[in-house]
Amino acid sequence: MNPTYRKWLNIVFSNRLSASGFVIISIFLIIALLYLIFGNLILPYNPIQINLSQVNAPPSFRHLFGTDQEGRDIFSRVIAALPVDLGISMLVVVASAALGLILGVLAGYYRGIFEEIIMRVTDLFFALPPLIMAMAIAITLGSSLINASIAIIIVWWPPYVRLVRGSTLEVTANEYITMSKVLNTPFIKIFTKGIFPNIVTSLLVYATMDIGTAILTLSTLGFLGIGIPVGTPELGVMSSILSTNFYTYPLEGLIPAFFIFLIVMGFSLTGEGVAEIIDPNIRGHLISRKRRLEEMKKIKAGSRPSDIGPQ
Amino acid sequence: MEGKRELIYYIARRAAASVLVIIGTIIIVFLISHLLTNDPARLWAGPKARGVTIAYVIQRYHLNAPLLVQLWYFIVDFFTGNLGIDPITGASISSEILFYFPNTLELVLTSLLFIIIMGVGLGYLAAINFSSKKDALIRILYSAAWASPTFLVAILAILIFTSYIPIFPSGGMNSPGMIPPAHITGLYVLDSLLSRNLGDFTDGLYHLILPSLALAFLNFGIVTRISRNGILSVKWLPYVKVARAKGLDETKVSRNHILRTGLIESNTVIAVMFGWLITGTVVVEQIFSWPGIGKFAYSAISESNYPVLIFVVITFTIFVIIANLIADIMYAILDPRIRLGGEN
Repeated sequence: MNPTYRKWLNIVFSNRLSASGFVIISIFLIIALLYLIFGNLILPYNPIQINLSQVNAPPSFRHLFGTDQEGRDIFSRVIAALPVDLGISMLVVVASAALGLILGVLAGYYRGIFEEIIMRVTDLFFALPPLIMAMAIAITLGSSLINASIAIIIVWWPPYVRLVRGSTLEVTANEYITMSKVLNTPFIKIFTKGIFPNIVTSLLVYATMDIGTAILTLSTLGFLGIGIPVGTPELGVMSSILSTNFYTYPLEGLIPAFFIFLIVMGFSLTGEGVAEIIDPNIRGHLISRKRRLEEMKKIKAGSRPSDIGPQ
Repeated sequence: MEGKRELIYYIARRAAASVLVIIGTIIIVFLISHLLTNDPARLWAGPKARGVTIAYVIQRYHLNAPLLVQLWYFIVDFFTGNLGIDPITGASISSEILFYFPNTLELVLTSLLFIIIMGVGLGYLAAINFSSKKDALIRILYSAAWASPTFLVAILAILIFTSYIPIFPSGGMNSPGMIPPAHITGLYVLDSLLSRNLGDFTDGLYHLILPSLALAFLNFGIVTRISRNGILSVKWLPYVKVARAKGLDETKVSRNHILRTGLIESNTVIAVMFGWLITGTVVVEQIFSWPGIGKFAYSAISESNYPVLIFVVITFTIFVIIANLIADIMYAILDPRIRLGGEN
């Protein structure tokens, strides 16, 4: 395996929080991939077929999560929704990161009037509340999955520009970048060899946590009935039944809502653990489980524990 | 205070920038609502509008004029409060926004109070028990709260506390039959307290608790996280060790040395939070049938009431911008490094 990947896996698995988050995400991603490859073959029922003789059925062995108000099997719909939710939110994050990388590096590297224009526009977009603006854009564009993605991307990119510009400024202050400039190294080489390897870590951590936030925003749009066509197997749209009849059949909406929670939780836990490990203020004081057990043994044995933490 | 002149300059500069951002926002919303669609008139008049209505809308919002002229009318209309008529209720949109807004403010301020208590308290608890079971538990709790979709928390709160354990009312601002108190501040609970109407006050408070707790639960995570990490980032610094070495007792060390510096960032996050809470009200107010601006936005969406939606969006955005401005000013007051030009 590539050593960089191994380093990343080590970071993720060195901490229980991020390890459990990573496992959750991987399971959902694998199921989503399987559905993309095999389609309805792996599902017990067709997720979009309406069956009015099986309306509002409670969970049972035939319908694991029950059926919705149009008789569609909720278990099948949840699985069919995974590629939609994960796909759109990953698309949003990747597009925003790409935009942020381009604008942020240009602003941080070339400075001057260029930076001024990019950063003022970014500040302006940064001030907009994402959900509210995405609502306005999605309604204006009309309902379709592509329009929903565009609406979220338009409000999603500003933090990436700020992040990338900040790290670019830090990196380009180093002598080796100045040296390369003096030696007339082409920009593309300075970028790939000097700048990119140094900013990719913070970008990756932020993007990982951000996929969860994007899913929350997307599903809220679905819940409000904006941007995502009615009947699409999407977790937010499926939960929207909650806005009308949650007293009679609460499970029909709560199950998809709970899956949104699980997915976002996976991303959130992964980021939470990783962010701690790369934070220089905290990193040195983390105590591994193994070490704590050793310390406990020492205390029990009557000897003085060693001072924990860097000196 | 040291650097008072710099502070005033800083506030003036930030305030001026915020005004520019507000105008920029209005321009962005204008461009979205006029350029992202082929037929703005149809959008503004509604999908099933008749020819007469479309003609009226074109004339009212100057949709046939050149784009810059339209933009000019849009901005002037906004700042003169002349936003047009709500096509569904027939009332003027600006008066409707002013009518609903205090209710939202009441909800948001109450949940902000809960957030400060829960957020800073748990963050402190996690930081002093760093890397222990308690710490891990608190981190899982706030990650879970952050990861919950708004509708999941709101519905669970209603189902649990009004249906399975019926201790709270299921929605609305007051019990049916209550006469609202005299209009003093516009905030229902505060008004009933000011007019010494104890029955109204307890009833209002009783209706306020569940929705504001739900809103607070969804958002306290970030405050806990920032408080925890803020305290951790100063906890091991040399000056804290010096304070202990001088012989100060542990309460004094944590109050004067750790918390004062460690919680600077939490203060600003709480101000920013105000803006996020406002965004969260769209779903929470609908589910708790709280007659605020979020519910107003929700019904505008479901009725395809485009003019109302657009102006509600601008209102929300302006409040977020003002919240950010307050956050920046608080940061500058609390952290002299900012106003003395340490950053930017």
